[in-house]
Amino acid sequence: MDYVIHLLILIGIFSILGLSLNLVVGYTGLLSITQAAFYGIGAYTTAILMRALGMNFFLSMLIGIVATIVISSIIGTVLSKFKDDYYALGSFGFNIIIYSVMLNWQGLTRGPLGLPGIGRPELFGLILSENGAFLILVIILTVFVFLLSQAITRSSFGRVLMAIREDEKVIQVFGYRTHSYKLLIFIVSAGMASIAGSLFASYITFIDPSSFVLMESIFILAIIILGGLANNKGAVLGAIIMILLPEALRFVGFPTEIAAQMRQVVYGVLLIILMIYRPQGVMGNYKL
Amino acid sequence: MHSILPQVIVNSIIAGSIYALVGLGFTMIFRTAKFFDLGYGALTAVGGYMVFLLYKKFDFPLIVGVVIAIVITALIGLLMDKVIYTRLRERKASNMVLLVASLGAFTAIQAILAIFFTSQFQTLVKNGAPARVIQIAGAYITETQLIIVVTAILLTIGLVVLLRYTMLGKSIRAISDDVEVAKIVGINTQRVIGYVFFIGAAIAGLSGVLVGFDTGIEPTMGMALLLKGVIAAIIGGAGSIGGAVIGAFLLAFVENFAVLQVSGEWKDAIAFGLLIIFLLFRPKGIIGT
Repeated sequence: MDYVIHLLILIGIFSILGLSLNLVVGYTGLLSITQAAFYGIGAYTTAILMRALGMNFFLSMLIGIVATIVISSIIGTVLSKFKDDYYALGSFGFNIIIYSVMLNWQGLTRGPLGLPGIGRPELFGLILSENGAFLILVIILTVFVFLLSQAITRSSFGRVLMAIREDEKVIQVFGYRTHSYKLLIFIVSAGMASIAGSLFASYITFIDPSSFVLMESIFILAIIILGGLANNKGAVLGAIIMILLPEALRFVGFPTEIAAQMRQVVYGVLLIILMIYRPQGVMGNYKL
Repeated sequence: MHSILPQVIVNSIIAGSIYALVGLGFTMIFRTAKFFDLGYGALTAVGGYMVFLLYKKFDFPLIVGVVIAIVITALIGLLMDKVIYTRLRERKASNMVLLVASLGAFTAIQAILAIFFTSQFQTLVKNGAPARVIQIAGAYITETQLIIVVTAILLTIGLVVLLRYTMLGKSIRAISDDVEVAKIVGINTQRVIGYVFFIGAAIAGLSGVLVGFDTGIEPTMGMALLLKGVIAAIIGGAGSIGGAVIGAFLLAFVENFAVLQVSGEWKDAIAFGLLIIFLLFRPKGIIGT
């Protein structure tokens, strides 16, 4: 049972990441490969504040969101000057820069040693140390992010995003300042990713920079490309498949080390196959 | 006490040569296939591991092992083009689709190498063979590093000759200018692009082998090399041979002089900082028009 709860918590966290990235990649058509950076900023903010100040989890999560908003607005401003594959490459770069900071700002992050002993959330004197209780929190936040994504994508704001994706010039002619739209959705997406980061830090109770490398961003991208671009349910479906897939590999009997690599082989090959045969993913509405 | 300046300059030249090697192969592919082929990065590791297998495990003579390794890597590059990219090009898929597919290829190849060879760091040099060191103007350079520098120079000359004076080179240049026009004048573009993937992958393999003899190999080595090569190619002026080489040396000098001020772990961040500055203020690169 604990195992099932563990997987459900991971699915929740990665659903949030998928939903957040889908807003940028799926709905707005910007190939961002830097989501793990914001996920990491959320995680580190929570870890540092809870460890150093004994701060309440929820407060640390809010501060994490604020920190992510500040940093992502700088990154987003730079990225909004780029297009298509140059956008992808630039975003790549920011993931590596943020990762370098996590690795090298040792006074704050302890570098590769990581931060152990991060506490669990506390609510009205109730500590969610039980995984079951933690799962409920994850579900609540996942549902919140899902509903927020639905609200955004169904609003007139969301329609402008999709118009930008289809033809940015045309929507500019109608007087929309597309740069602001692209920047705003990038920041919203980063803020959501930061929530996932806070949850991850508090759940695992230990973080180090290796959880927020470029490969993790690629993994999140694989989730939404598999599940379906520009479809919020697709992002959740993608997370479910991508989390359960390596577990299945483990049950088949691969040793852990090999299973971890097999997971990468499988999602690498999946990306190729999807690009060739179904670039919109299982239930997507948009082809890259 | 003598100055460390000569050593920093020599280190920059060595690093610049490595980036130039990787960047040249990337540029060849980028100018014809016109997308960021990230799978190219993983091929450097393939080259390194093939030599590891042939030379170190099966005791092939060095040259034979290296040549076979490069040919195998080149064939894998060609295969990737035929199985994946050709289909996508025929469907007129966007650059982003190609980029994501190549990202998939990168991830899969890197993991396959880790499954077969473990993710441990390995050296290509056989035990007991100490690196021969040469001293030039107060700076040290190993024999392997000297070979890297010479190879980079020869490869640059070779590619310029290929592009300027051969039929294949002319076809490649025609495709770089305009694929559709190249087709109209009767160039078999898919075939030429196939050759380019073969050449590019061979260069990737060669770079991986040289880096392997210099420092060592691990399955994830491709990413760092790829990124440096891509940055070199873009800041130099994406698509041109001269640009890639200039970009490579600019990147290497900036990195090596920057680490005089900050710790060496910041190199990647510095490299990407440089890329982002270029993308913002001079997106066509140094020699781009």
